[in-house]
Amino acid sequence: MDALLEAALRLATPLLFAALGELLVERSGVVNIGIEGLMLTGAFAAFAVAVTTASPGLGVAAGVSASVALGMVFAWFVVLRSADQIVVGTAVNLLALGATGLALRSLFPGGIPAAPVVGPLEIPGLASLPVVGTALFGATPFVPTSLAATLCVALFLARTRAGLRWRAVGEVARAADAEGVRVAAVRIGAIAVGAAFAGIAGAMLPLAQSNTFSEGMTAGRGFIALAIVIFGRWNAIGCAAAALFFGATTALQFRLQARGLAVPYPLALALPYVLTLAVLAIATGRARAPRDLGRPYRREAH
Amino acid sequence: MLVRAALLVALGCFVAALPGCGGETTQQTETFRVALLTPGSISDGGWNQAAYDGLERVERELGARVSHVETKSPAQFEEEFRSYARDGFDLVFGHGFEYQEAAARVAPSYPETVFVTTSGNTVLPNLAPMVFELEQATYLCGWLAAKLSSSGRLGAIGGVDLPSIRSTFVAFRAGAEAARPGVSVREVFLGRFDDVPAAREAATALLDEGADFLIHQVNDAGRGVFQAVQERAAKGSRVYAFGTNRNQNDMAPDVVLASAVLDVPSAFVEVARRVESGSFRAEPIRLGMGEGIVSFVLNAGLSGGIEAPVLQELAALAAKIRSGELQVPRGNF
Repeated sequence: MDALLEAALRLATPLLFAALGELLVERSGVVNIGIEGLMLTGAFAAFAVAVTTASPGLGVAAGVSASVALGMVFAWFVVLRSADQIVVGTAVNLLALGATGLALRSLFPGGIPAAPVVGPLEIPGLASLPVVGTALFGATPFVPTSLAATLCVALFLARTRAGLRWRAVGEVARAADAEGVRVAAVRIGAIAVGAAFAGIAGAMLPLAQSNTFSEGMTAGRGFIALAIVIFGRWNAIGCAAAALFFGATTALQFRLQARGLAVPYPLALALPYVLTLAVLAIATGRARAPRDLGRPYRREAH
Repeated sequence: MLVRAALLVALGCFVAALPGCGGETTQQTETFRVALLTPGSISDGGWNQAAYDGLERVERELGARVSHVETKSPAQFEEEFRSYARDGFDLVFGHGFEYQEAAARVAPSYPETVFVTTSGNTVLPNLAPMVFELEQATYLCGWLAAKLSSSGRLGAIGGVDLPSIRSTFVAFRAGAEAARPGVSVREVFLGRFDDVPAAREAATALLDEGADFLIHQVNDAGRGVFQAVQERAAKGSRVYAFGTNRNQNDMAPDVVLASAVLDVPSAFVEVARRVESGSFRAEPIRLGMGEGIVSFVLNAGLSGGIEAPVLQELAALAAKIRSGELQVPRGNF
């Protein structure tokens, strides 16, 4: 049971970081489906720098920087040039997949080395708490940080003036503009913060979830994060619940297979998706996307 | 007007009659051209990289002109086969069981090109699979694992449940059963080959279930399996893993006990030689321990801990497989 909880949190953490980032972007009215590409870029940069400098900390910083840099390219197109967000997001994904693969082959032609990893926290005292002790405090710092980040994002959006402006830009950009909120600045800022979160999510794949990089190693986690934002009803706590649920069912399906249950493995692999859909169908309540989500804002347009 | 048309026609006939302009005459002097389709990245340190190494050796040793493409989806298989055949390539490798249907659809239209799939069973006059008997080595992995396991539980982690992958697990299980009847072998599949963190979780789940020897068939993601085993070993458990396809003993020298090694590059050179010299025959090309293409390589740093009688028995078993006296069970495909 402890092992299952630990696995669930481990599997949920990159999804949660990526989903929180996407949540912030979407609440400002922008859909960034390039989050998978940002994660992959972050993962590669983190891996390459960690290997070269032998410092996982510098690796994480590099992952965040690379993801933000690519995020700014996205921002230039969708905010300043009012380009279609889906098209630019798709381009980001394709670019990241190709570029990281090429860079991997040219930087490490003789084989892929092992990266120095971010070790577990092992906070004495806290790690020995019953049930959640090892799962939370015996894990890598990413795990508790993701939960703290959830609270920060929730408080920021719901309780701060900046959060209110941020949401106003996502709901009715024109009205926010009329109130003196700089729509483009907020959206660019949101994309930068979102990309930083995606960079953390990416960096932890080679530096905490494994000790290596492989091409396409994000394996669709960015797209799952997009879904988690919807399942989480555009709300940070909801995102955390959805990510944890998805992580738990994924951990569970590996354990069902390992237990030798006579279930065809594709069914086991589908379990997290099926259960998440089922929960979404059963759970009632209001789920509404930010009104101006996906709409480029042009000041002069009427 | 009419005169001009007649002149054009005459000119056309003249050009067509020029030596060297018809296709046939230059065919003889063209260099041997070999292409490779891989289902994944050639930097995976496993299945795909080995094929690319093979292609490079074909280029070096046979002086062939080579080309490679990584296919992203099954829809692309047929398209790429066709485009290489149309370009006049002499030999096109499809590196995996999954390529045979596409190759069978394309091969009849291009009789001048030989198509070889890595594993498979589809044979046409210009299409044959090369069948690696990696099962011979995974059988030995299973045998050794069952001999040394203290829990009597073994684990196998697979990427996608392809028949060729399933087959190596069938042999692993058979080897384990031969050493220790009633041994348990659990399998976990990931549904993909590139998800290292997922491989690590799958391996951790198997270790949590008490498995103490793990084999994998997940290419890139194999490092995740080794990492999970290393972590468990660091906590004081006696757990080991086996490498597959390439010699992976040095990827985690403290826990990889042995590797089931496939010398794919040599196999590619061998097949390319046969095609170039015209000795290609429309039948499966079987390559195993007897041919020196497959081998079972113990990690010298760990094999010292294995008792001498077990090692002797292992060597005798390997000799029997090499000579053909022992036929290793394999998946039916």
